[in-house]
Amino acid sequence: MRKTRKSAFFFVLLIFTGWTFGFAQTEPAPASMVELQPLIERAQPGDTLYLDGGLYAGPVTIDKTIAIIGKNWPVIDGRLQGTVIEITAPGVHLQGLKIINSGIDLSEEDAGIALDAPDATIIDNHLQEVLFGIYLRRSHRTVLRNNLIEGKKEMEIPRRGDLIRAWSSDSLLIADNILRYGRDLIVWFSRNSIVRNNEVRYARYGIHFMYSDDCLIENNTLIHNSVGTFLMFSRRLTYRHNIVAYNRGASGFGIGVKDLDDGLIEENLIIDNRVGIFVDNSPRALDARMTYVGNVIAYNDAGFGLLSFVQRSHINKNSFIENYEQVAVTGAGFLTGNDWQGNYWSDYFGFDEDNDGIGDIPYKSEKLFEDLILRKPELRFFIYSPVIQAVNFAAQAFPLVKPHPKVEDPVPRMQPFFPNIDIGVELRTNWPLLISGVASILFGLFLIRGFAGSFKKANQESKTRSESMQTIAKNMMPHSRHGEASIAINNVTKSFGPIVALKDATLHIAGGECVALWGANGAGKTTLLRCILGVIPFEGNITINSYDIRKDGKQARYHIGFVPQEIQFHDHFSVLETIRFYAKLKKAPVERIQDWLQIVGLEPHAEKLVKELSGGMKQRLALAIALLADPPILLLDEPTANLDMRSREEFLSILKKLKDNGKTIVFSSHRMTEVIPFADRIVVMEHGKVVADIPPSEAYSYLGRFSQIRIYLPEEQIEKAIQILQGENFEVSRNGLGIKVKIDAQSRLRPIALLIDSGISIYDFEYELEH
Amino acid sequence: MDIHNVLLITWKEILNARRNRWFILYTIIFALLSLALSWLGLAGVGSYNLAGFGKTTASLINLILLIVPLMGLTLGAISLAGEREKGTLLYLLAQPVSPFEVLLGKFLGIGTALLAALLIGFGLSGYLIALRGGITQISSYLSLIGFTLLLALATLGVGLLISSFMKKAESAVGMALFLWLFFVFFGDLGLIGSTLFFKLDIQQVLTLSLINPLQSFKLGALMSMRANLEVLGPVGLYAMRTFGSQLVFLVSALLGVWILSSFVVTYAVIQRKGGL
Repeated sequence: MRKTRKSAFFFVLLIFTGWTFGFAQTEPAPASMVELQPLIERAQPGDTLYLDGGLYAGPVTIDKTIAIIGKNWPVIDGRLQGTVIEITAPGVHLQGLKIINSGIDLSEEDAGIALDAPDATIIDNHLQEVLFGIYLRRSHRTVLRNNLIEGKKEMEIPRRGDLIRAWSSDSLLIADNILRYGRDLIVWFSRNSIVRNNEVRYARYGIHFMYSDDCLIENNTLIHNSVGTFLMFSRRLTYRHNIVAYNRGASGFGIGVKDLDDGLIEENLIIDNRVGIFVDNSPRALDARMTYVGNVIAYNDAGFGLLSFVQRSHINKNSFIENYEQVAVTGAGFLTGNDWQGNYWSDYFGFDEDNDGIGDIPYKSEKLFEDLILRKPELRFFIYSPVIQAVNFAAQAFPLVKPHPKVEDPVPRMQPFFPNIDIGVELRTNWPLLISGVASILFGLFLIRGFAGSFKKANQESKTRSESMQTIAKNMMPHSRHGEASIAINNVTKSFGPIVALKDATLHIAGGECVALWGANGAGKTTLLRCILGVIPFEGNITINSYDIRKDGKQARYHIGFVPQEIQFHDHFSVLETIRFYAKLKKAPVERIQDWLQIVGLEPHAEKLVKELSGGMKQRLALAIALLADPPILLLDEPTANLDMRSREEFLSILKKLKDNGKTIVFSSHRMTEVIPFADRIVVMEHGKVVADIPPSEAYSYLGRFSQIRIYLPEEQIEKAIQILQGENFEVSRNGLGIKVKIDAQSRLRPIALLIDSGISIYDFEYELEH
Repeated sequence: MDIHNVLLITWKEILNARRNRWFILYTIIFALLSLALSWLGLAGVGSYNLAGFGKTTASLINLILLIVPLMGLTLGAISLAGEREKGTLLYLLAQPVSPFEVLLGKFLGIGTALLAALLIGFGLSGYLIALRGGITQISSYLSLIGFTLLLALATLGVGLLISSFMKKAESAVGMALFLWLFFVFFGDLGLIGSTLFFKLDIQQVLTLSLINPLQSFKLGALMSMRANLEVLGPVGLYAMRTFGSQLVFLVSALLGVWILSSFVVTYAVIQRKGGL
């Protein structure tokens, strides 16, 4: 113990006296600081200098054996001028001081405390904003205990100094210190030292030993450093009961071992590092060995990494748990000459029939892909790819290719061994990440639920605005005058592979005209309508109110309402959602949706899904959609094909009104009963060609030779009806619930008359083109 | 281009996805698996209560590589071919809307739905990791989400491209599954075999692997999570030394090229084929 001469002690009160003793190498202290150097100079060897709070100017040099003990954290400010406290005398004692602001010159090795003398005791101090923390040179038997040392956090790691650097200082005790934001805790050329119970975080190498023999490193916590511990060029080091976790820097070793002889790595927790333990050329001497025993090596990318030539290592009683790669071998060749016995392997699939805690078959680290990596290191690039699991699984299930085992443990433990280590590590909630996680979930839910909802709301709110949209839409449509061609189809040809669906079709339709496309199935009616809409490519030219459908298709389609033959909507949408969607697309007034639903009789079904509608209802919905933006042209493809009699009549009456209101209507049909009373012109199509363009008055004479009548009868009278008509030389065939009869222009009503005269009941009949 | 129409179709696609059983299934699977993997990885060793964040990251990357391309490819493949098969595509194109607006709206809509599914999954795993004290930086977390979204959009683009050729949804999904197998398994397997058989050098392995968008994603994700690629061995080191921090931009650009090129080709096909 240090000798203290009470007769000569100075008690410095927490009063700034304003003393300004000059100090040769540094700038004068500002008035707010007390000069410390004069106080030291006035002290006699063996004195104790008590500082009670206050702010003291550094740097200072202690060149005599004194003690400085702080109370209420007196601050010694180095003012960025080199090392804050330099000690050149042996046996100096520093305690309870807050030492801040060393210089930042790496070449000068500016430190919080620099010692070049033995037997110092540095305990219970706080060193902050220092480049190097405590720097020991030839400071044998020095004790560093319970200090908090924080480097310059804002500096990049390579520009920081070591938090503790011991060089050529034997028999040190470095214990219970907390170190952060520095480079290393490094012990160099120092023998017989103990590094115990320190905590190092956010540094480069948590603990770094070089050329230091016979040292003990135990119970330290090394977390979130680039490397947990690096032990190099030393002999007889014992490294035990340390917690080495989350060290994932560039090399990311939990424990790096290089050129070490006779080391003992015992009962450490090595968790979630890039490589748990990495061994390079250890042991180095031919008569030396390395021992790794009782360590828990878990969740590392590679549990135990070795260069392939490493030998004479004893790896026993360790627990290898869920490392991505349990053992990784670097370099060409296979491991030999090491003792892997009695370890626990989480990927061991053996059994223990005799219940002795040891698996009855050896553990082999023999994943095929890891074997391939050994042969061709470039293949490591593919780790994390799902194919790796597939390759390994396949190799295990079908062992056609037997990989060379990297490691074989003849007596694997069935249960992991957990050493008794006081963990003392607190993993605090990462609030920024937690908030981000919650925000992600909420944002995801908003996107999938709220976005659609908000859009819907926006739709509703935009009712008033939609009126102006309609105005815009109308302004985009040049109004066609009656008699002027609103649809001009010139030389349109369309082929589907070898099949010619339309050939050189030419047709002009004036505004307000109602034109029927008449023809058998496959005549080209539907294809022509699709060409008019511009939804399939074709040769030739089509204009809609002077818009070229191919160049200005979108503008042209503002003028068209379309009802397809086979109505298909999005099944997941309700009637209201469907009609609203198309209304918005057509920029039609949303407030008229209800009117249209009412007109087509779908108002009671507005909330139903469209897939729940009957064919007739879908047809009416399609008509409502076609009329939403009040387009001047309607294209209807077999609009009544799927309707029953009553629905058809209703539908046709709506169309009649639309025609009377001046709509241009082009519709395809094979029903004479629709075409004759309804159309202004009938365009006859056959095999993709327009073969005639006639008024309805000529329809019977022109079309009659092609036509047939479909008659619906009671089931039990069908056979009798066929016999009667065949008896009168009609060509008759059965068709579902009725019959089909070929007729000519002169005998259109004769089959009906014959059947009625014979007492046959007739439900319905219709004229159509022969198929 | 009328942005109103694009947004409208985007909305329709989101609504469709919300009611699409495949999408719901994918979302639930992704959320549950990411949650389960995080839970298992963070369960702690013995009684020490120390979590395995590295293992969780590796498992998440593996999960993403498996599930996300499957989501993107199949949802994309169903989209156009399904509508074409039903006739709704033709009906939609018969409205005052351009094919470009339809395609962009579909892409954005399905993309948004995918983003939502990913955010829910990532949110759950991020929440769990945060509770256990993971040191994952927000920037890394967001960066991983960003790369995953790029991967989802790239595979969605390829899915839409498949869809544009196909007349039936079933055929399109079959082709999508084949491509998924190719991207996830056969591509890498072929490259591994080629590396061994033809003794490809580091540069060739890197160049060939980057053709696969999944490998581009993997590099980007690892760069964002771990700041270097040492874990990927010599090829990873070569990539780092050749491109340095620019590698993140390179792989992002490669994924961007996948998205853009598949979109352009899909548009050309739709222009050529129309609604049929």
